[in-house]
Amino acid sequence: MTLSPRFSMTLGAFATVFLAVIIHVLVVFGIPLNVQHSAYDNIAEYGPDRQFNLLPDVRPQQEALPDLDPSMKHAACRFQLVDGPVLFDAGIPTSFWSIGLFNSAGETLYSLNNRTAGADRLSMLVLTPSQLSILRENPPENLENLIVIETDEISGFALLRAHVPHPSKANAVDVALKSATCGTIG
Amino acid sequence: MTGSGSPGQPAEIRYGEADWHVQDLPLAIRPHKTRPFRTLVFLSIIVGFASLLGISSAYVMIEREQPLNAVTIGPWQAYPKAGTAEADPYSVAIYTRGAVVPLASGEGLALVARQDSAGHLLDPTCVYRISGQTPAARLWTLTVTDGDGHLVQTLPGRVYLDSQSLLRNQDGSFEISVANNPHSGNWLPLAAAANASDGLRIVLRLYDAPVTTGAALDGIQLPTIERQACP
Repeated sequence: MTLSPRFSMTLGAFATVFLAVIIHVLVVFGIPLNVQHSAYDNIAEYGPDRQFNLLPDVRPQQEALPDLDPSMKHAACRFQLVDGPVLFDAGIPTSFWSIGLFNSAGETLYSLNNRTAGADRLSMLVLTPSQLSILRENPPENLENLIVIETDEISGFALLRAHVPHPSKANAVDVALKSATCGTIG
Repeated sequence: MTGSGSPGQPAEIRYGEADWHVQDLPLAIRPHKTRPFRTLVFLSIIVGFASLLGISSAYVMIEREQPLNAVTIGPWQAYPKAGTAEADPYSVAIYTRGAVVPLASGEGLALVARQDSAGHLLDPTCVYRISGQTPAARLWTLTVTDGDGHLVQTLPGRVYLDSQSLLRNQDGSFEISVANNPHSGNWLPLAAAANASDGLRIVLRLYDAPVTTGAALDGIQLPTIERQACP
């Protein structure tokens, strides 16, 4: 069978558009799988895992991560739950701080700020459901006061943001962020 | 693709095998002549154009850095779903490619302005006035960046303004001058040496605001951005 030129041109145009849509979708979905430097990777440059590492102050041309607020100081902690549950503990002398928990793909798992934390101190425990059932058999004394977050994500990171109300408070915030713990329970 | 023969007048109808490819049969039932080279060229053109179209449209969508599910209020745009499991594929691609850690819903909400209230693109060489009210929030900050979202060098070295150091009117409203040279009152400095082509974004971050924790975003009061003067 022979197609008329007009028909084959129309068919060609449709095929082009159809194929273009498929390629567009593949490219958009493929980008997250082929990223060279994720936020999870970048944070590793600032110090070892399972401890809060102070990120450098957000200044022009020295941004540790993109889109950070220059009015804040940041500390980040990478963790892998196969190494055990992670306990976050911090007391930051500022009017506003917040913490976000993200998985290795950068999706939010949990977030809170100093008002929703319900206490002046941040004390939060992140673990897997199986680790929680082990912990329940022999609960630590302060389990009642902890914010317990169960997650199936094995690796992730936490970003702690603390507002610096005035440059004179910068040192105090620095010290508090450096002494914040992100480690093993007990 | 096959060429077409002109439906010329039949001189005489013969059924000999020698000239079986008679031109006067209707096109649709004419025996097919394979032309591998032409077919190959045709298919390559389709594949080439489709790749070009698909990749360039994906690139444009990602480079615009404006996810699909944006909420637009006046000049401000917010992506409350950014960095969550419900985010659309475009914002997932944009955020992972840029290694951006978004503000989570329990922390705050970032609103980005790329245009002024009249709909003109923001220009770092102009003078703007931001005035009005912000939604209830425990803390908010205003930051200026270039068109790619990077911070810029300003005259005083300060690149932001926060709600705690703001001068306000009696009724709680405020006016902020956004300019590269010093202004009295609230001054948000722009890049000291900027070209119009560098682009400008103004980022309003609301921390611990009811709008980030469930309350509807539509109907909230946001400040206006007015262009005062341009060189």
